[in-house]
Amino acid sequence: MKFALIDRITELEPGKRVVAVKAVSLAEEYLADHFATFPVLPGVLMLEAVVEGAVWLVRQHEDFAHSFVLLKEARNVTYKSFVKPGQVLRIEVHCRQLAPDSSEFSGTGRCDDTEVVKARFALRHFNLADRDPGMAQADERLVATARQRWALIAGRGVPQPERRGVSRGSGQAKCKTE
Amino acid sequence: MRWIWIDTFTEFESGKRASAVKNVTLAEEHVHDYAPASPMLPPPLMIEGMAQTAGILVGEARGFRENVILAKVRRATFEEYGRPGDQITYTAVLDSIDDTAATTRGEVFRNGDRIGTVDLIFSHLNQSASDLDLPEHNFVFGDTFLDLLRSYRIAVGD
Amino acid sequence: MPTTREDVFKQVEEVLVDALGVDEDEVSEDATLTGDLGAESIDFLDIVFRLEKKFSIKIPRGELFPDDIVNNPDYVENGKFTPAGMTRLKTAMPHADFSDFEADADVAKMPELFTVRTLINYIENKLQAA
Repeated sequence: MKFALIDRITELEPGKRVVAVKAVSLAEEYLADHFATFPVLPGVLMLEAVVEGAVWLVRQHEDFAHSFVLLKEARNVTYKSFVKPGQVLRIEVHCRQLAPDSSEFSGTGRCDDTEVVKARFALRHFNLADRDPGMAQADERLVATARQRWALIAGRGVPQPERRGVSRGSGQAKCKTE
Repeated sequence: MRWIWIDTFTEFESGKRASAVKNVTLAEEHVHDYAPASPMLPPPLMIEGMAQTAGILVGEARGFRENVILAKVRRATFEEYGRPGDQITYTAVLDSIDDTAATTRGEVFRNGDRIGTVDLIFSHLNQSASDLDLPEHNFVFGDTFLDLLRSYRIAVGD
Repeated sequence: MPTTREDVFKQVEEVLVDALGVDEDEVSEDATLTGDLGAESIDFLDIVFRLEKKFSIKIPRGELFPDDIVNNPDYVENGKFTPAGMTRLKTAMPHADFSDFEADADVAKMPELFTVRTLINYIENKLQAA
């Protein structure tokens, strides 16, 4: 299964807010099991769509300085309704805190005018080279893949990252919680 | 692919607690797709592994009569992540259960080391949740989940 | 064990911050759980669960948030509580303040009864009875 829960980023205010969409299709393989007689987008993938929106906000803001931007903590993730094939999930995420190696967000997902999910969560940002300098090339490949995906999903009018000369792998970025 | 994020139960105490394991392998497409140069199990699939472990524990406690649906992730935290060759263990404890809902607490382990916690609330959905347009039958507990429990019970000679 | 109302407020505040993901400064006594603090129906269960743990009490289903009155045709007619319904509601919720609610008795406005103050009153009653 391809793990991409955002189809298109439609709005982005750098460092502040992102709006993106995920269309749900009956052709998505996991729907055959979730559930065979009532196919709906799994709740964890609804959360992942919201989280991925935030990941793109971070990546745009830091110009892909980190190869990994991962979920550290999710809380108060409340599911209010189902998302079915043929529907489009529109996620909106607001940034509450944005530091070089971590960030916090609150976000919602809506189908038409109905709120279907809301969540608060925190991300950690790091490079493999922080722990092992030998992994710098793997970091570069990951960033290249992320930039390719960004090129596919960033809609017209979405601001491009400002290129900064940030050197990766410098210093010890923490990837464990304090 | 199959939407099944646990491989087998290792412990099952009806109405109380359950543990299940998932092996992370390079043969899984999503393990590659999430971070191609550094394959890993995507974090939401660890939440789902716990949801399936805990959801079967909740369902079994009431004879799989109701549709047990994930209603809230109270909290999920991760300090490390699963990589190919790892065995992830989900241990769920049933804290409360009644007609309408159930709450569970859980811990996630990677090769025996604790790497996270996942605390959940499940709803028992029935036809009275009519604005959700539900089918009449139980759609959650199909053969895939029931077989997991059956094979555990056969293995321990229940 | 908390004794003062201030203590109870602080602990109820912690429960609501944990259960609803709101900030401390949003939690005032007048704040409504659904309107001001954004609580969903599943959050009510989470709140009950956390209050039980926090205060070492048992909250029987329906004691804090009655759930069997609205669906009873003796108690509700045309979207409003009947006199019998209002009596039943007041008996079931001695911890709530009905002064603003009474005039209208509108079922749709029932969530406005569930304020932070309602929770604090309930906890205080429970601790005193213990």
